[in-house]
Amino acid sequence: MRQGFRQCMSWLHIWSGLLVGWILFAVFLTGTASYFRNEISAWMRPELQAAAPGAEPVRLAIETLQRTAPNSPSWIISPPDERGGELRVFWREPGARRFATAVLDPATGEPVRTRESLGGNFFYRFHFELHMAPLWGRWIVGFCAMMMLVAIISGIVTHRRIFADFFTFRPGKGAGRSWLDAHNALGVLALPYHLMITYTGLITLMVMYMPWGIQAAYQGDRQAFVNDVFGTAALVKRANQPAPLTPIAPLLDEATRRWGGPPGRIDVQQPGDASAVIRMTRRDAESISANPQTLTFDGLRGTLLSASGEAAAAAATRGVAYGLHLGRFASPLLRGLFFLSGLAGTAMVATGLVLWAAKHRHRHARNGRAGFGLRLVEALNLATIAGLPTAMFGFLWANRLLPLHLADRAEWEVRCFFLIWALAGLQAVLWPGLRSWAAQFGAAALLGLLLPVLNLLTTDRHLGASLPAGDWAMAGTDLVAAGLGLLLGYLAWRLVHRAPARQALRGARLARAEGA
Amino acid sequence: MALLGFGLAYAGFLGLSLAMDRHHAELLGGRPATARRRLLRGLGWGLLGLSLLPCLALWGTGIGLVSWLGLLTAAGLGLILLIPYAPRLALWLGPLLPLAGLLAWPILVA
Repeated sequence: MRQGFRQCMSWLHIWSGLLVGWILFAVFLTGTASYFRNEISAWMRPELQAAAPGAEPVRLAIETLQRTAPNSPSWIISPPDERGGELRVFWREPGARRFATAVLDPATGEPVRTRESLGGNFFYRFHFELHMAPLWGRWIVGFCAMMMLVAIISGIVTHRRIFADFFTFRPGKGAGRSWLDAHNALGVLALPYHLMITYTGLITLMVMYMPWGIQAAYQGDRQAFVNDVFGTAALVKRANQPAPLTPIAPLLDEATRRWGGPPGRIDVQQPGDASAVIRMTRRDAESISANPQTLTFDGLRGTLLSASGEAAAAAATRGVAYGLHLGRFASPLLRGLFFLSGLAGTAMVATGLVLWAAKHRHRHARNGRAGFGLRLVEALNLATIAGLPTAMFGFLWANRLLPLHLADRAEWEVRCFFLIWALAGLQAVLWPGLRSWAAQFGAAALLGLLLPVLNLLTTDRHLGASLPAGDWAMAGTDLVAAGLGLLLGYLAWRLVHRAPARQALRGARLARAEGA
Repeated sequence: MALLGFGLAYAGFLGLSLAMDRHHAELLGGRPATARRRLLRGLGWGLLGLSLLPCLALWGTGIGLVSWLGLLTAAGLGLILLIPYAPRLALWLGPLLPLAGLLAWPILVA
């Protein structure tokens, strides 16, 4: 019976993992890149100089908004922080449904003309929407995350020697053995991370997947729920009496005094009206929970109206889960560890997929021609595992190489990404096999390794300038890309130099076995 | 102090791995006697437990625990890679990493 249960779990692990593996790989890889979303965004807008945090940019932003959007019922200002963020403002024309947005120069407050780019947000949104209609993408990713949870738990049950093989990695012991060792080690050692990230990932979108509880408790008043969870307040009513806004600097000082750091976001409601309210939200870098703490000030006198602090238990739990998933609280070191664990997760999914193909290829080598299923899995493996990193680096290259004033430039960067990925897929279908794997890993390696060179040729914020200036968003992106390029290059080199020998060996062994 | 936490976690994992026949043979040669196996295992768990302390001191309970798990993952994966490719280095890093962590403590207070 025990054997039966294990086998059953093994079956569950293999199929739940295989069916959603390719999407999971993409979700893991783009999600891992999203830990450095701000840095990638900064890298992709090299015209924007890193800004010093402080009260001055906020004051300038308010001046600009008073000039350009005096009738907006609300402004949102997101000031730069020490991670090199940008000074971004949002406003809404009366009657318009959506917010308009602009990036301002923190030194002058003027809107900056910068190259159009989605920046790191592209990877971030791809991570949970797959560049589909949001509803479809989120449901698919949620389904895959659920399957991932199933695969993790069945994987633990089915892993017979989880403690005995805890430190075991035997490279060069035959493809099946080594891949299985790697798959196990990556899975087991980063297990806390895998469980946490999958589970909290489901929580981030729980409101969408299971809206019924909220519908019942709030009688369909979604906004009330959002206000409770996110600590946002309903828009105040306009009094229709013009009145000047209070100076912002003392309010920023008050927020800094209370929180030990400047706010991460400033909302101004009904600016220029007697009903004006200014609300500051604490930056989410200081505690794990992503539930915001806010201070609300009277917009005319500058007096503190209210301070919303700790949320109720359920909202606090959700806040911690959400915060853990995004890792925004993390110090550079911890973000590095999250990044490493994310890479481990990506590699775990990849080794699992490769393992399935290797096993079945082995089986088919005995029975003759590979079936359609195996060929499909192999093509998808190649297109995803080697094609996606190539396309992701290609996205960064497109950012530098596309003409600056191209119409729909941001859209073209995305098109380049998908074009490269489609080419990788085409190669996977037309020329399956190790040579194509090596070619694609090689291409990704070159794109990664040469990214600092490209940056040197196209901007003046290359490593020689960014490293001495301590410009970590620029230098870090260059260096991490080059490091990953090195890793991918090693993989390509291994594929070229080691694989044929081993294949020939295995072929000879098989031939001998068949002859006997 | 993060380096100290990492070093202790690495040394702890090294101790636990040396308590196993296969890895003892790979790194030191031969099978460990029962007493030695017990000692290594105790030492390993002890060091793993100790590695939590610098994390808690540095980051507080919440972030400290999360960082500790991250450091454990990094230390474990590092050890697993080193055992087949550079077994001597794997062994030497056991005492060297915590030592470096102790020495770096006053310099890098962070």
